[in-house]
Amino acid sequence: MSGLYVHIPFCKAKCRYCDFVSFADHDCMGDYCAALLKEIRLSAAALPKREYESVFFGGGTPSILPVGAISLLLHALKESFTVLPDAEITIEANPGTLTEEKLKEYKAAGINRLSMGLQSANDALLENVGRIHRYREFVQNYECARAAGFDNISADIMYGLPGQTVKDHMDTIEALYRLGLDHISAYSLIVEEGTPLYTDIIGGAESLPAEDDAYLMHKKGMEFLEQLGYHRYEISNYAKPGRESRHNVNYWENGEYLGLGLNSHSAMRIEGQWLRFANTASLPDYLSHSARGVRPLAEPPEIIPEKEEMFETVMLGLRMTKGVDEENFRKRFGKSMEEAYGDALLSLREKGWLLRENGFIRLTEEGLDFQNEALMSFLDD
Amino acid sequence: MAYSQDLIRNFCIIAHIDHGKSTLADRMIELTDTVAIRDMEAQLLDTMDIERERGITIKATAVRMYYTHTDGKQYMFNLIDTPGHVDFTYEVSRALAACEGAVLVVDATQGIEAQTLANVYLALDNGLEIVPVINKIDLPSADPEHAIREIEDVIGLPATDAPRISAKLGTNVNEVLAQLVDLVPPPEGSAEAPLRALIFDSIYDNYKGALSYVRVKEGTVRAGMRIRSMATGNEFDVTEVGVFTPTLKPTEELAAGEVGYIAASIKSVSETKVGDTITDVANPAKEPLPGYKQANPMVFCGIYPADGADYESLRDALDKLVLNDASLSYEPETSMALGFGFRCGFLGLLHMEIIQERLEREFDLDLVTTAPSVIYKVKKNDGTELSVDNPSNLPDPSEIMYMEEPMVEAHIMTPSDYVGSIMELCQEKRGVFKDMKYIEENRVNILYELPLNEIIYDFFDQLKSRSRGYASFDYELKEYVQSDLVKLDFLLNGDMCDALSTIVHKDKAYGKGRAVAEKLQEVIPRQQFEIPIQAAIGGKIIARETVRAVRKDVLAKCYGGDITRKKKLLEKQKEGKKRMRQIGTVSLPSEAFMSVLRIN
Repeated sequence: MSGLYVHIPFCKAKCRYCDFVSFADHDCMGDYCAALLKEIRLSAAALPKREYESVFFGGGTPSILPVGAISLLLHALKESFTVLPDAEITIEANPGTLTEEKLKEYKAAGINRLSMGLQSANDALLENVGRIHRYREFVQNYECARAAGFDNISADIMYGLPGQTVKDHMDTIEALYRLGLDHISAYSLIVEEGTPLYTDIIGGAESLPAEDDAYLMHKKGMEFLEQLGYHRYEISNYAKPGRESRHNVNYWENGEYLGLGLNSHSAMRIEGQWLRFANTASLPDYLSHSARGVRPLAEPPEIIPEKEEMFETVMLGLRMTKGVDEENFRKRFGKSMEEAYGDALLSLREKGWLLRENGFIRLTEEGLDFQNEALMSFLDD
Repeated sequence: MAYSQDLIRNFCIIAHIDHGKSTLADRMIELTDTVAIRDMEAQLLDTMDIERERGITIKATAVRMYYTHTDGKQYMFNLIDTPGHVDFTYEVSRALAACEGAVLVVDATQGIEAQTLANVYLALDNGLEIVPVINKIDLPSADPEHAIREIEDVIGLPATDAPRISAKLGTNVNEVLAQLVDLVPPPEGSAEAPLRALIFDSIYDNYKGALSYVRVKEGTVRAGMRIRSMATGNEFDVTEVGVFTPTLKPTEELAAGEVGYIAASIKSVSETKVGDTITDVANPAKEPLPGYKQANPMVFCGIYPADGADYESLRDALDKLVLNDASLSYEPETSMALGFGFRCGFLGLLHMEIIQERLEREFDLDLVTTAPSVIYKVKKNDGTELSVDNPSNLPDPSEIMYMEEPMVEAHIMTPSDYVGSIMELCQEKRGVFKDMKYIEENRVNILYELPLNEIIYDFFDQLKSRSRGYASFDYELKEYVQSDLVKLDFLLNGDMCDALSTIVHKDKAYGKGRAVAEKLQEVIPRQQFEIPIQAAIGGKIIARETVRAVRKDVLAKCYGGDITRKKKLLEKQKEGKKRMRQIGTVSLPSEAFMSVLRIN
């Protein structure tokens, strides 16, 4: 399958753990949308036709765009690309940027899935990491979204935040369950070099929860979510039945996707070759490229040799609890996983990290905890 | 034909590192027009490049110069440049034996250092005339009178007339040349006597084979002669003789008193050893020149390729190095932890470092080295005795009656301010205080007897740091003494890691065991299980640390934009893993072995 990703690199304020390309300065939002509209047309003309089954507005904070912008972009997408009628169309929205008006606009434009960045139900923790919203705002926005007719809402939460306890994490999960969220992404905090949080932690001004506590948050959180009816379908993603993110599952199935906007990435099979390409990460370059009618690629597309494509398929597929579909793998590469990775499969099975079930090869719970280590076995010595 | 002996002066330069030896040599070469000034730098550099390309050591060299004295006569100067470190004392002593004089360069801002003093004594032992020279008079902090007093007080040499020079600026360097003529005696020895030529160095040349650098003491050597090395009995046909200009320049002959090289299609420098005497097979000398010694390695360590696949390359590299370095020894050894590698023997620590660096730099090898060891003598209960240079070869303690370790006599020169902390260091290193002399008001010469195994780790670094770089140090091997030594082993998750074993004094074992265990705990990456690290003597555990298990190793997020980065990350992680050594169930990075060497 194929997905469309649109990147909106603006935020109201930058969170202290964030290392993404995003801007808190919004002067060029209008220019950016104009450039994006141009890129949509340029890319559609340059690339082979696909039937897109999902669209994802990610960021940044796409919901920060003024009323009307998203409709305009989505309209342009539908005009230039084939977006299937039952496509999953998601927008990431942060509490504090959503209004009733925007929600109504999204709904009317055809957006059918909302992904809200909550992070935690504990306001002190939110404030500490630089989130602009409070839990109450999230609840208001959420209820407003339900009222606007959104029936598929996801929330992102984080564990391992400075000062967070296991109880904080459980409380957040319980609150989301009570609100009736359809989908929950629970990420362990990664302290990226160069972020303000990193500086504080290195400098000792801030400290992360003890490793054992962070691990407990992961384990207990997972058990609790499962118990509440959210099944884990990917390392960090939990959904009520049928509410898995189709757009993201496509990434993990190593499917095709086209990224539009600043620093967005794409993967596509063109003339038999598996290609990856990415847009420039520089906003001025992005704007000037589009103005000149040139696609804003950072570099020429990279041709991924089949062996690497195979590894990527395993690397991504084994993030999902269902694992890699053996039949799909065989169809794609003309050989079975057994033939391609016999030794790795054997050693991981012996270790108790890997199982072969119902036509899928998947990692066990322990295997998922050590996914990096498990993937090493699939790389050449 | 031969240059009149009266007009020959053979000399070397004795100086502490940085006191200006090479600069002075360069000025002399310039002043004597040996190398045109405009070519000078280029020419010297070119030689170096060729040397590097051929993989030969940048070590002792010699140069012939012609100097016209105030008496109007032209003198032949042979300057022999010697390596200047304690590891190469024997080589230095042979180079000195090839001369009649030595220029002693003393830095006017710093005075005499321990190594300089040691070499001056060596020169005096060899009967050399010393020409003191005060260098760096151009520096604001220069105190030439003070340096002169020091030479007179410490060495007992009259130095009032010593030229005060600046080798950097060329000031008064002429005076040095003049004094060489006036003070250094010309060589003696008949050119007609049976040939006796002293080998003071040898280098390997890809085209000519091993070249012997010689000082002809008696007789004459020329191409076509059949010669014999008196110590080894090896015979060779001389293909070429020549002199150093400083590049090699063939000549017809080398007669008594001259310095030059002999090429005789010799396969390796180990067949033309420093200190040996070359004679004429047709008309042999009765006695060799005195002073030949087999240079024996004192320090040993295991050298392993970081990547096991590089074993062959490592062997090739050692094969090449030994062509040019007769004092390097190596033999294959196998370690449970490190796989296939070599047990290498060195003259000393510097020599060890030079070899390691050359292997890494010139041969592009990534190495893992084990802790350096000295040779221990082990007396067993059954009356037999053996020498052990690898802790792994130590017999079971129940079989050992006693062990002996080598001691050295160490001279340390230091400003008096640091005496306290240096003595403390020596005590820590099991040193026995022997003597202390004030060279002058605030400089002290301390004499200590120290176990060699205590100075092969970080003694020199410690000495420098405790004296803010001012102390200098020189040592010579004394005798073996009985000592209470034990083998300290390390176990990782219950498996012994042979490459970490060391032999230490019993009193040091606990401290060392604890320190290494702590260090290992820091450098061993956490794995999926808990790793106990134990230090043990025999079966007794003396220290324990634990590397905690890692609970999770997975990327929280991986969406479209993360795939390439994630893949690269995994590849890097895999690369790092490949470079790890497997000790039983535990993966150990190469760095672990290195860091353990740097324990105080």
